Amino acid sequence: MKMTKLYDGSYQWIMYGRDKNKPSNIIDTNQYIIRTAKRCLVLDPGGIELFAPMLAAVLHHAPVEEITDLFASHQDPDIISSLGLWDQALPHAKLHAPALWEGFLRHFGCETIEYVGIPDNGGVIQLDGADLKIIPAHYLHSSANFHIYDPKAKILMSGDVGAALEEDGAPIFVDDFNAHVEKMRFFHQRWMPSNQAKRDWIDRVRKLDIDIMAPQHGRIFRGDDVNRFLDWFESLQVGIAV
Amino acid sequence: MNKPNHAKSKFVAVASIAAELSAVMHVAKEISLAAANAKAIAFRAGEKAKGFQPITDFINELAKETIELVNDINEHALLLYQMTVDEHRMTDACHSFEKVVILAEGAPYASSLDKSVELAQQRMQFCRTQFRIHVNQLLDQLEGVMHPARAARVIAANSRIEASQAGEYLQSLQAVAESVDNAAQVIHDNVQRCRSALSILNVTE
Repeated sequence: MKMTKLYDGSYQWIMYGRDKNKPSNIIDTNQYIIRTAKRCLVLDPGGIELFAPMLAAVLHHAPVEEITDLFASHQDPDIISSLGLWDQALPHAKLHAPALWEGFLRHFGCETIEYVGIPDNGGVIQLDGADLKIIPAHYLHSSANFHIYDPKAKILMSGDVGAALEEDGAPIFVDDFNAHVEKMRFFHQRWMPSNQAKRDWIDRVRKLDIDIMAPQHGRIFRGDDVNRFLDWFESLQVGIAV
Repeated sequence: MNKPNHAKSKFVAVASIAAELSAVMHVAKEISLAAANAKAIAFRAGEKAKGFQPITDFINELAKETIELVNDINEHALLLYQMTVDEHRMTDACHSFEKVVILAEGAPYASSLDKSVELAQQRMQFCRTQFRIHVNQLLDQLEGVMHPARAARVIAANSRIEASQAGEYLQSLQAVAESVDNAAQVIHDNVQRCRSALSILNVTE
């Protein structure tokens, strides 16, 4: 599992992905952690197939007793089907996930971990000194969907927005936006159902000061590529299957 | 037997018990209906079927007893299914943790997982022990259902004798006796299949 540090201040953002041992028939995912002095938040911890390499990777940065929080942007299996295993591994942790999906997500197994339901209008996760804003991203693509914005690190973890379908082992960062567009087009047009929801999200996100936009699949956007993405996404018609 | 197949056979065995019990319940209700039918015939037959009348009450009681027992067993089978799920999850967790331990070798915080590994192994053992205990309890309960089924067959034989003295009601009452006999046989066979499925689980455990 490749580890990439995205922010290194009074706490760290670390991205994990491009696992060489991942079965070829499951979609590649990016996982992120925010590591403070005494706590660790895992963002979209991943599917059940990925649990062992993911936990093993996190153990390079935090002991299990300090992995205190998990965040699931939505209910999909590539996001959180590993929940039942984290539930056995973490002695005291909270799962921050859409309130709307609680009854569904519990099917993965959630006995030890406390489910903290996120209301539709989002909220804040306080992780030691880091105040992480939970940004609503409903219908992008899931009907109850959230992203995480860190105003200090200026990072937006954007879930499926900005995702791309890539070959295994693709670079971590977008290096040629125009070339990258075609890897994103189908994903956004087919998995995102609502132009209205898309506009609402863009309006919200344009107000944020973002240096890094970090999606759950594909490459990470830095600097001007963030605005390039927002402009491209704004002009894209989504929900093309009907 | 390899592990995935073993787990699969457990799920299938426990689920098949529910299916067999559902058939038993259906047949027990048929017996109850046959008893009501027989009672009406015996009433019309009057003196000619005097010996048959207490038998109909007995058949009805057996049907009721079977239905109650099957209800209890069904609840237990559901509990056993949940235990199968719990054990499957714990076994999965233990296997996953073994992989983590290998992959995390050399990681600064690798040893922090030790407690979780130990706890998961204890929980898995507990689940397995509980599963075995409940399989044995369920086997006993299933044996309990065999008793009314065997009694029903004896009653069916007596019913045929009593029916032979019922004159023009002979055929109707013989049909009742036949129906009780068949039903008892079906219950016996279904319960036997449940017991076989559970016994296999006990052996493979």
